[in-house]
Amino acid sequence: MSSVTENRLAAADSTTGDLVSLGVIGVATLTFLASWLLLLQWVDETATVAGLSVLKLLGVGLAVIGGGLVVIGVGSRFDYIDTTPSSSAGAPVGVVFGVLWAILGGLAATLLLENAVVLWLPVAVVFGVVGFLASVLPGEDVGSTLPVAAILILLGVVVAIGGVNAGWTWSPDWSSASFPGSELVPILVVFGTLLGAWSAGKAKEGFGAEGRQAGAYYLIGSVVFAMLGVLGLLIGFIVTNGLQTTLTGASLLGGRQTIPFVGLQVAWPEFPFLLNQTGGLYVEIPGVLPALVGTLWLVVGAVSFAVPLGIGAAVFLTEYAERGRFTQVVEVATNGLWSTPSIVFGLFGLAFLVPRISGGNSIVVGQLVLGFMLLPLVLITSREAILAVPDARRDASAALGVTKWQTIRSVVLPAAMPGTITGVILGVGRIAGETAPLLLVFGGSPYPSTTPNVLGGFRFSAQPPFVTNEALLSPASALPYQLYSTITAGVFPKEIFTNTEFGWGTALVLLLVVVGLYAIGVGSRLYFRRKLHNE
Amino acid sequence: MSEIEPTQRTDLAEQRLTTTGETDETTQAAWTEFQFEDDAKLAVEALDVYYGNEQALQSVSLDVPDESVTALIGPSGCGKSTFLRCLNRMNDRIKSARIEGSVALDGQEIYSDGVNLVELRKRVGMVFQEPNPFPKSIEDNISYGPRKHGDLDTGLLARLFGTDDAEEAQALVERALRRAALWEEVKDRLGDNALGLSGGQQQRLCIARCLAVDPDVILMDEPASALDPIATAKIEDLIEELAEDYSVVVVTHNMQQASRISDQTAVFLTGGELVEYGETEQIFENPQSQRVEDYITGKFG
Repeated sequence: MSSVTENRLAAADSTTGDLVSLGVIGVATLTFLASWLLLLQWVDETATVAGLSVLKLLGVGLAVIGGGLVVIGVGSRFDYIDTTPSSSAGAPVGVVFGVLWAILGGLAATLLLENAVVLWLPVAVVFGVVGFLASVLPGEDVGSTLPVAAILILLGVVVAIGGVNAGWTWSPDWSSASFPGSELVPILVVFGTLLGAWSAGKAKEGFGAEGRQAGAYYLIGSVVFAMLGVLGLLIGFIVTNGLQTTLTGASLLGGRQTIPFVGLQVAWPEFPFLLNQTGGLYVEIPGVLPALVGTLWLVVGAVSFAVPLGIGAAVFLTEYAERGRFTQVVEVATNGLWSTPSIVFGLFGLAFLVPRISGGNSIVVGQLVLGFMLLPLVLITSREAILAVPDARRDASAALGVTKWQTIRSVVLPAAMPGTITGVILGVGRIAGETAPLLLVFGGSPYPSTTPNVLGGFRFSAQPPFVTNEALLSPASALPYQLYSTITAGVFPKEIFTNTEFGWGTALVLLLVVVGLYAIGVGSRLYFRRKLHNE
Repeated sequence: MSEIEPTQRTDLAEQRLTTTGETDETTQAAWTEFQFEDDAKLAVEALDVYYGNEQALQSVSLDVPDESVTALIGPSGCGKSTFLRCLNRMNDRIKSARIEGSVALDGQEIYSDGVNLVELRKRVGMVFQEPNPFPKSIEDNISYGPRKHGDLDTGLLARLFGTDDAEEAQALVERALRRAALWEEVKDRLGDNALGLSGGQQQRLCIARCLAVDPDVILMDEPASALDPIATAKIEDLIEELAEDYSVVVVTHNMQQASRISDQTAVFLTGGELVEYGETEQIFENPQSQRVEDYITGKFG
């Protein structure tokens, strides 16, 4: 009795088990990274390392991981390795392994048996049940290692002896797709190594509750890693493709700037892709300035239209309106509006706003339509933020004889500011990249030779409407709109860039604009938060 | 341990029955009559409060004298906090609450039409159970009330034209903090966020914030129940000091606290009934009601 307790307390000290598990995890990590090198084509699949083709090397890696798991499982079962396994690996693990076995069985049946159409399903079911039982019935140490080890060793050996090589292709009857071995093997190896590392991670903490916790951390960690990987891949792809276009003709001190009134010329940074017009006769390196300015004006207009309105509505709904049927209806309507497809907003703008305001595509209608799209999110988030302000503060203010409106202005809204800003950030990210409604209500020439001059476009007169702005009523170009035109139908006017090159450059600038807007938003949120809390 | 005899057990049961306050005793009007020389600061007459269909206060009549501490004690749910919140009409903020009867401040009815709530709450300040400072700097917390009432102008325009009341504001902040016995602890960090103070300091800050609008009456709803003994002692000392200039009404769970700090005590019992009201000494040493005696001696509640 006491020895069992001792064993359980001291279980984590097992050095042999630790070493083997660490070794398995190490091999898994290396194999995992190596298969990504192959998948991303940084290493050719025909390359050889120490006389072995890389694919075979991956197979060997898988087999080694499987072997390591067998050592751990068997060693733990016969007490060569101190562990504290539970009586079963548990149903979730069983389901995962069972499904894997079923897939393996089904695939093997389709590949190896001739008239597999009839047979693959029963074979898969039998394999799945065997896999499930093999994981659930024995103790956790065996159940969570051997079933996965069997799969890994099988796969590894098949790949290592050349059963599946780079030239091999699997083209199943039920699909027109075909999977060449050069892609299939690395993908399988990626998943195999992840599985192997999961089991090894559990084994390293000696199975049991500790082990499952380590396994859970590992799973969550790999999800985070995968997410960051996807994000990094996306950004990296855009940057590598767009950087050359964006930097064309750019130099830090190559430009000349004349100081006004003095006439002195000084060295000045030069960035033609950002600062040049797109069209025009004398433009050597076409730039994205008109579209960049157009996008910024759209965002500014939409934000200054939607934010006051959204916050005002949120204040009314939370502080003044009685909670009941009416507020519920507004809530549902708001949520529905937020999920309405943007092209619908665009169509509304085209049919309703365009004839009434500008008679044709224009910046101001674009701003309004994007403002409509932003409105529900601002409303939802600022409502949540206002509701989160503790009632104790409203009571405190009321007890000092301060009116409701003053309380809202100086206690409630400042406290709700960070939440509201979060909503605006999210919304701006969406509308800055919005293309569909702009096609309908906003876009003019995708490659304009002039930048919209909104600030200088205001004209004042003594007659109504007193203020007019020709620039706001004219169409313009925006980054996503220009990108769409370039990639789909555009015939880019200059020969220096191809359509694709110019498109990637535009995409990179758009990405930077959105990131810049995010940075502004995050900065102001931090500012308000610091002001509110004692940080 | 000896077995309890069956007869003894019945005795205990009987006693428990009486000690839950369910005696046949009817409250006598004389028990709540408390005479004092000056005019009442607050005169409450036949006050009924309903939350929906539930009656929270039953025809409570009670006069609060000026420049003294009045303690309201009673078990949980007896309506003492409800009563307190009626005195500056904070119950108006609860949608389901319905209030009948009369409350007069210096002889003026506060429940009549056309009463200016801003003015009323300026004269009848309130301190809550949980310290609830605003997430602003210490000095902004203090000057918040006067600024919002327009008594202090520290706005941007006034600052631009040099007509702001910065000095007055400073003086007011110092006065209020000194009065609340907090000045020495915070004078070097008036610009810091009030949320960084300890619980006891926060509560004294809330008292200072209340004093800054210069009220006549200060209502306190269990002001020390969320604080440790040392902070509680400081708050109690402060309440006694404040009673020299203000009429202080304190709700408390703590009977020792009530007997220590108050001049007169009102005992509310279950059902929202004011059972006995009189000088604290008399209430605690010689209560007229059996139920009040049971409650005070700790037999129930």
